[in-house]
Amino acid sequence: MDKLLEIHNLHARVEDKEILRGINLEIGPGEVHAIMGPNGAGKSTLGAVLTGKPGYEVTEGSILYKGQDLLAMAPEERAWAGLFLSFQYPVEIPGVTITAFMKAAVNAKRKAAGQPEMKAGDFLKLMKEKMAFVQMKPEFAKREVNVGFSGGEKKRNEIFQMALLEPDLSLLDETDSGLDVDALKIVADGVNALRSPSKSAIIVTHYQKLLEYVQPDVVHVLKAGQIVKTGGRELIDAIETKGFDQF
Amino acid sequence: MGHGHYIAPPKGQYQVQAGEVLNLQFVVLPGESRDIDVSVDLLGPGAEAHLKGLYLCKADEKVNFRIVMHHCAPGCKSTQLFNGIAGGEAQVSFHGTIVVAPEAQQTEAYQENHNIVLTPEAKVTTQPQLEIYADDVKCSHGATVGQLNEDELFYMRSRGIPESEAKTLQMLSFLSPVVPEGREEEIEQAIRTL
Repeated sequence: MDKLLEIHNLHARVEDKEILRGINLEIGPGEVHAIMGPNGAGKSTLGAVLTGKPGYEVTEGSILYKGQDLLAMAPEERAWAGLFLSFQYPVEIPGVTITAFMKAAVNAKRKAAGQPEMKAGDFLKLMKEKMAFVQMKPEFAKREVNVGFSGGEKKRNEIFQMALLEPDLSLLDETDSGLDVDALKIVADGVNALRSPSKSAIIVTHYQKLLEYVQPDVVHVLKAGQIVKTGGRELIDAIETKGFDQF
Repeated sequence: MGHGHYIAPPKGQYQVQAGEVLNLQFVVLPGESRDIDVSVDLLGPGAEAHLKGLYLCKADEKVNFRIVMHHCAPGCKSTQLFNGIAGGEAQVSFHGTIVVAPEAQQTEAYQENHNIVLTPEAKVTTQPQLEIYADDVKCSHGATVGQLNEDELFYMRSRGIPESEAKTLQMLSFLSPVVPEGREEEIEQAIRTL
């Protein structure tokens, strides 16, 4: 397997509106790609389609992940296969604690891989370690998922979950929006710590803040549902000075 | 402030005297149809009644609640919380009435009924009612009928929690305020059969 993700001529719509109009994208193991684009370009739709969010209809094209037909997999099967989306707007789940939530997630993934459930003590130790890593206070373990969290706390909780699940392909959807510099560094450290020759990431953003801390290998410009330009880091500077209209 | 003339309801099954506290817990699990008819009279100053109910219904089960909470004396307090889930073609009705007699000043009375329907065929009707004939009272009632939240469900699935497990977690959290202590596992098992 040479590519982790292969998107070919992807068209997708929400209700009657076509948002993605022929996306082509390949990501190899160990690569970090940035996808930049103005509001409404289809960035979040791409994340939604990759993770299988209900309500998004793929009308044409294909997605292969680790050589498998990703679109045929349920959202949970995609997670078991190592796909992770850091939500732009993390969802609040009243009544479910972070501990219960992540325990269910970790054990479901282990079960799918034919592994036994994690021992309670081992799990709590792992959780503590990963929470410290994103500078979440230990008492968050008992809090209901995202309920009453500030914007920065919600994003750190996403990175905590990512660190715990150790995905092969992470998608960060506008994870930098609304973060102050300190929180941004925590998020960046989280992403950088996961970098390895086998793990890849897609950073979706409309500005370059996070990309100062996480250096992408490849930069794509997404506009009106298509990738209109692909290059290196020089594209970030070009966008910074001249905006998206040049493409 | 009430509507019409005050007519005392027929005497209830539970009569709570001054200073006494009545706690009632109702649990209806899948596998049965039930009519639950309860009336409580708070007869003496300072009497209290606290009612909690949980119901899980599936198939063609019919579960009906008729609750009358009658505040007859001043300074009494009552709380009611009923949460339930209806799947299959189940039919649930909840009629809850709080009556506050003219002499029952300084009454505190609260009633909530929340429902989740799992299928288009399941049917829930809920009718909370307040009849207040005193003027110095704190009363509220609320009723909701909804579905499992789709955004929560997708968020959990995106983390690898299977759909059925995610729904179970949602239902458990919805019911948690009314699950009797020590019966958590039994309720969880029952949820999985819905």
